Amino acid sequence: MLARSRRRGIGAVTGYSCDLKMKKLNLLMVAGLVAPALGCGDGRTPLVVYSTHGREMLVRAEAIFEELNPEVDVRWLDMGSQDVLDRVRSEKVNPQADVWFGGPSYILARAVKDSLLEPFRPSWAEFIPARAQGPGDHYFAAYETPAIIEYNTTALGADTVPQDWDEILDPKWAGKVVIRDPIASGTMRSIFGMVIQKSIRETGDTAAGFDWLRALDAQTREYVLNPTMLHEKMVRQDGILTLWALPDVLVDANAGDPLGYVLPTSGTPVIEDAIALVRGSDQQELGKRFIEWVGSVDAQLMAANLVFRLPTRTDLPLDSLADWVRDVRERMVVAEMDWDDLAENGPDWMHYWDRNVRGQGAP
Amino acid sequence: MLSTRFRNRMNKRERGILLVVALSWLVVYPIVMVGAESFREPAGWTLGHLSRFAADSTEWTALWNSLWISAASVVLSAMIGVPLAFIFELLDFPGRKTLGALVALPAVLPPLVGVIAFLFLYGESGFIPRVMVSTFGLSEAPWKLRGAGAILLVHAYSMSVYFYLFTRAGLAKVDGSMVEAAHALGCKGVCTLRRVILPLLRPQLTSAALLVFMTSLGSFSAPYLFGGGFRVMTTQIFASKLNGNLSAAMVETSALAIVALFGLFVFRRARGERSVVAVGKGTSRAPIVINQPLIKWGAAAAGWALAIFLLLPHLTLITVSFVPRGTWTTELFPPVYSLTNYLSLAREAERFRPLFNSLWMATVSTVLVLSIAVWAGRAIVQKKVVLRSTIESLLSVPWAVPGTVLAIAVATLFSVNAPLMGRWVLVGTVVILPLAYVIRNIPVAAGSVVAGFRQLDHSLDEAAGSLGATRWRTLKSITLPLLRPALLAGGALAFATAVGDFVTSIVLYTFETRPVSIEILSVLRQNDVGIAAAYGVILMCVSAAAMAIGTKR
Repeated sequence: MLARSRRRGIGAVTGYSCDLKMKKLNLLMVAGLVAPALGCGDGRTPLVVYSTHGREMLVRAEAIFEELNPEVDVRWLDMGSQDVLDRVRSEKVNPQADVWFGGPSYILARAVKDSLLEPFRPSWAEFIPARAQGPGDHYFAAYETPAIIEYNTTALGADTVPQDWDEILDPKWAGKVVIRDPIASGTMRSIFGMVIQKSIRETGDTAAGFDWLRALDAQTREYVLNPTMLHEKMVRQDGILTLWALPDVLVDANAGDPLGYVLPTSGTPVIEDAIALVRGSDQQELGKRFIEWVGSVDAQLMAANLVFRLPTRTDLPLDSLADWVRDVRERMVVAEMDWDDLAENGPDWMHYWDRNVRGQGAP
Repeated sequence: MLSTRFRNRMNKRERGILLVVALSWLVVYPIVMVGAESFREPAGWTLGHLSRFAADSTEWTALWNSLWISAASVVLSAMIGVPLAFIFELLDFPGRKTLGALVALPAVLPPLVGVIAFLFLYGESGFIPRVMVSTFGLSEAPWKLRGAGAILLVHAYSMSVYFYLFTRAGLAKVDGSMVEAAHALGCKGVCTLRRVILPLLRPQLTSAALLVFMTSLGSFSAPYLFGGGFRVMTTQIFASKLNGNLSAAMVETSALAIVALFGLFVFRRARGERSVVAVGKGTSRAPIVINQPLIKWGAAAAGWALAIFLLLPHLTLITVSFVPRGTWTTELFPPVYSLTNYLSLAREAERFRPLFNSLWMATVSTVLVLSIAVWAGRAIVQKKVVLRSTIESLLSVPWAVPGTVLAIAVATLFSVNAPLMGRWVLVGTVVILPLAYVIRNIPVAAGSVVAGFRQLDHSLDEAAGSLGATRWRTLKSITLPLLRPALLAGGALAFATAVGDFVTSIVLYTFETRPVSIEILSVLRQNDVGIAAAYGVILMCVSAAAMAIGTKR
């Protein structure tokens, strides 16, 4: 089926080219160049994984899973969660991915709304907290991503860093904070959402929350539109404080960047990093096997100890977990969050913030 | 499929119509589908999205910003690119050839890492501000690379090369005898420029202006990375999509497309219907050799200074590619240099696959897009006026939508199997990405090739025909050789665009076709700027080689 549509496709491309002889020439060239590109069948069954987890982790996952399943050829494509959603949505009639591996649960929830995911309940679902389980068995979180306060360790000592969200509003940090543009960032939206929801819980209104965000805006040197730029600015001390996600800081620090983190004492939003089976793909059974493996004890330990993911499984043997996992689990306070409410009202809050708070906090 | 005989029997008008149909299928169809989405909701058709857009003042601000930024980018790029082309084409001074090639290099600054190079160079903690801080004893960076100014800087820097290349290609075709004739008739200096050279350059100048205008209109990375709170339409679309508001994104896209079509109309009017054709019998004029040592060395010094300014981002990128991760923080120069980044590329064979993919896809799509451009170019110089203007408009239409939207439109169009509607399931196949490159590059290739056709002496074609040459033979032995500069220039731009393309690829790539820009993104997502820069340098060398061939005459 695929091969047929491919051939037809080439005809479609060249069918309107300028002259018959040129067309022959083009066809020859296309054939000559495409053939080696297609020559990748080595008899193994391909399993296509769209993932947000990055090369470091995916290379390991591929090697281990292929060792366990020699007949499978894991093919991963690494991208952002919004890109995964865009692609899965546009490939709906001809799904290419079997597994969607990684991305905040609220993005996968959108995919559920568009009927892009196939319900599948892996056996490890019973060992993870209720907050990590998606509705209707459409997705489950394999890891958790707490938001943290990140700082430059060259510029700041661990004892001087703000220990909680409110302390960032101290005048001494004015102009020292850089923030990822919240419109483009799920992590930032979660933090802003936490502030607004707390305001509603305590005062019945969003006003106090937006006042807090206005005060944060006054401290903010710049809104950075891209995580790589944010990272560069933090390393080069264009800003020395930011709000960000835990795994990234751990990975960067491990790679030698002068970055550290603080777990906010009053509580922090914990984003569920989910995995799901794509509806209608070729390798449903293999996809299920992969999802099972991701939640297995071995795979969870690998992710935690080698690539700094915070595993969701609560039954992992403590003595085989890395120190940072035990430390984070001990000190992490999970903030009260209503994710459905955030999914529903978040866009309006962000819209209001964008129009009425951004750039307005400065004295 | 049409047989040769049938094709040869078809008259000009029918072939023109066939061309219109083919181009419509490639460029209009996807865009119409996006437009239709603006009026759709789950229940049926609606005007709701449109009225919400119209009622939002920030949308209008963004639209206006997009418009004036694009217009200003055209003016700035022309102010840099056109004089440069004149200097390098008409004056001879030491180092002219080398410099002439170097000046075209902004066109090969790879995506994503290119803008990062700007940050390292001009950002608050960048090289230039740090030099200024330490030289003048300032307490903080003299400027912030942010807002409209920053966007314009990046645009002017990267797009003036279009004016430069197009103007040079045009000047090379200016018949020396016409200038001499003007001189003999008493029209010298400014008069020759105004009444002879500029009218002859009009196709090239308007093509370049159109290219810059449309590229700025669809420009995403510069406003995305440097815009700060400055809103343009492309970032609005991006934000709406992230907010999960797809229909708002579609309305915004349609609004941008309408502005682009308006721009298209204005530029086509500016070119005028009657373009001047240089009947080429004489030779192109030789550059004026400067003999006065002061002027000669002055020109050389100015040329080199300019080249260094234009090459600073490239040099930065090369430097960064030799810096191991985490070692360059607050120092003026990197304290450590090593080959680590390149070695980690060399160690893993899989890292080369994206490079290979980009190369073959760029090659195939360039060949195809040039074929289309030649086919259309011939039609435009030969056909009746009605069809001609239709074809010309169609050729520019892919500009009317930003790359990412075009990609989504192509994905939508080719996700249904309905051959009678001209739709096949191509999503997820190897074909779709090269096809998208072809569509996206139609304006670039056609811009250059059509301008080339305009300057051709049509009588040569007819002479060959009357001597009994077949159409194919005429094309092969007369038209294509004469078109060589235009083909090479258009092909080089199309190749460089395709080989470094990011925005289209991100939506359409598959495992088999993952291109190098996607690999760069993947590396950047791990904050490995050094390895990304190493990829960028390789990409830069490939594009530079293409451009070197493209500007060779």
